[in-house]
Amino acid sequence: MKHLYIPLFLFFFLILEGVALELLPVALLTSELLIVPHWVLIFLVLTAMFYEKDTTYFSIIYALIFGLLIDVVYTGVLGVYMFSYALVIYLVLGLRKVFHGNIYVSLLLGIISVMLADVAIHVIYSAAGVIQMVWNDYAIYRLLPTVLSNIVFILILYPLFAKRLSKWSEGLLAGSDSL
Amino acid sequence: MNLFRKKRLFIFLIAFIVLVVLIGYSISGRENITTAEQFINDTVGWGQRIIHAPVNFVTDVFTNIEDIRNTYNENQLLKEKLAEYTGLIYENQELSEENEELRNLMEWMDNESIRDFNPIQATVISRSPERWVEQVTINKGLQDGVATNMAVITAEGMIGKVQTTSQFTSTVQLLTGFDQFNRISATISREDSDDIFGMIEGYDEESESLLFRIIEESDQDLEEGELVVSSGMGGVFPAGLPIGNVVEVVADQYGLTRTALIEPAADMYDINHVVVVDRALSDAEDEEEEETD
Repeated sequence: MKHLYIPLFLFFFLILEGVALELLPVALLTSELLIVPHWVLIFLVLTAMFYEKDTTYFSIIYALIFGLLIDVVYTGVLGVYMFSYALVIYLVLGLRKVFHGNIYVSLLLGIISVMLADVAIHVIYSAAGVIQMVWNDYAIYRLLPTVLSNIVFILILYPLFAKRLSKWSEGLLAGSDSL
Repeated sequence: MNLFRKKRLFIFLIAFIVLVVLIGYSISGRENITTAEQFINDTVGWGQRIIHAPVNFVTDVFTNIEDIRNTYNENQLLKEKLAEYTGLIYENQELSEENEELRNLMEWMDNESIRDFNPIQATVISRSPERWVEQVTINKGLQDGVATNMAVITAEGMIGKVQTTSQFTSTVQLLTGFDQFNRISATISREDSDDIFGMIEGYDEESESLLFRIIEESDQDLEEGELVVSSGMGGVFPAGLPIGNVVEVVADQYGLTRTALIEPAADMYDINHVVVVDRALSDAEDEEEEETD
């Protein structure tokens, strides 16, 4: 049962992203700033930091699955989010061995991963010819507001899930041994 | 260690190839999405419907408070307009009667014109969080008669067209996400001279307006604020759907044609209830396609 919690929450955040823009004031939407919620990614980062054991790779598999779901449901260009999210989570899994899991590290890793993922998405979309945006404009109008708004989300999510994720993780290896 | 590195590089390369193949496949201009994607869209759409109701309720409360503050001014304005409308209604009635008589005189076999359409009511259940992809999801799909390329309108005017359809949901590409591959044949109606015809050829982010390339000029120059409507000549959308108002007219870089900047009539950010426009008059090609299906 505990194995199901993470995909369920990821699915929930995936759906929530679809109404995220309705929660923002209209003035922000009509302005030039492009704020993109990366809530699924942030939850994946927390999963990678607190749920994973050294030998498990659940978060990468979830990143692939839910990245693909975002592509299918929200953009129609397949593979972009899937690739970016999986790549970023792979890097986070590498970095978590260096750091301890506390709020500052989560914040740092969260910011780095949102930045990397968004830059990766920009690079892929530019290469595929879906958008044309100069790097300067991109950094000011999209990258900065996106990272700032997602920091708020990390700060909300961390106290709710950090402990829970480690708790769900406890039964993880024992469960897989018995199989 | 060496073997491990090689394996890692190998996986990365395979992932990259998969990425290129997937992107190439999805932007190659396919007609509709695959069954697997339809299934995913419907499943997520089911969740979105549940989530949408409470979120909508909360946002509605805030907009209601805002609305109440503006009520008095709006009421004054509406009363003035209402007085104008009573005159228009009589005029409209007479004109439509006359129109019908003339049509009967011409002995048209079927009374369908390119203006007629069957409306399909729908609600927007989510909007793409990826701001570069201007796309919303509505709660009607193939089962309700929605098909790709149908126009989608609100009370104010056109907002876009159906991009992909699943069984129970479909995605709508907004006018703000249109490019040169999604043209709309449009017109500006003139009373005493030739109408102006042209194409809506995309959205200009800088001026936040649609580009209306004028193909056939009229004797009279375009004026600011004139209404651009769909002409129905493209064969996909019915005629007479309001698209937007002229803001400015500029010459293109060679000075051969002129382009009008159009401000969309509908608000692209506050969309809730929409109507999918199913053109009543289907052209011969469509019918043939249906038969082969």
